[in-house]
Amino acid sequence: MTTAKNPARKRYIARFIPTMAVYVAAIFTVSWVFNRYEPTGPIAWGLALLPALPLLAIIAIMGVYLSEEGDEFIRKILVESMLWGVGLTLAIMTVWGFLEIYAGRRSCRPSGPSRSSASAWAWPSPSSSAATGRGAR
Amino acid sequence: MKNRLKILRAERDWSQADLADRLEVSRQTINALETGKYDPSLPLAFRIARLFGQPIESIFDDGQA
Repeated sequence: MTTAKNPARKRYIARFIPTMAVYVAAIFTVSWVFNRYEPTGPIAWGLALLPALPLLAIIAIMGVYLSEEGDEFIRKILVESMLWGVGLTLAIMTVWGFLEIYAGRRSCRPSGPSRSSASAWAWPSPSSSAATGRGAR
Repeated sequence: MKNRLKILRAERDWSQADLADRLEVSRQTINALETGKYDPSLPLAFRIARLFGQPIESIFDDGQA
C-alpha cells in the first residue's frame, strides 16, 4: 500500500479515526440516555439523530479524500469500491424494503392495526410505537 | 493497452518505486500500468513520455497502427 507516503490518505485517516470515536461515543451516550430517561417527542428525535451525524461526516470525509487523492489509479480504485458499496447497500435495502412492505405485515402482525406497515413506519401512532418500544426494551 | 514501460524502466535500472517517485504516483499505479491493467490519463501519459524523452506513441501501443 501507499499509506506511508501518501499525504491525502494520512489526512483521511486522521479525520476518519476521531469521527468514528465520536460515533461510538454517541451510540453509547444516546443508548444510555434512552434507557435512563426514556425521552419522547422532539427531544427523542434529536437524540436519535445524534449518532447519524458522525456517520454523515464520514461520508463527507470520504468525499474530501476522493477530491484530495492525487493518484488517478488509486482514485479509480476508490470510486469503484464506493460504487460497489453503494450498489450492494441499495440492492439489500430494496429487497428488504419490499419484503417489509408486502410480507412483513401479514407474518409479523396478524391481528395488528389495519394500516400498512409502510405508513406505520413513517408515521407511527403513539399507541403502537409505545407498545412496540416498551416491549422491545 | 500494451506499453514499453517495463523495458524503458529496466534500461535505466529503475525500480517500480523509483519510477513512481519520478512520476509522483504510487507504486501500485506503476504496477497497474506495466501489467496493462490500467491505461493512464492523457496528462500522466505526457508526463511518462517527457520523463523518458520519447513520444507517447512509441511508449504506448493501442494496436491500431
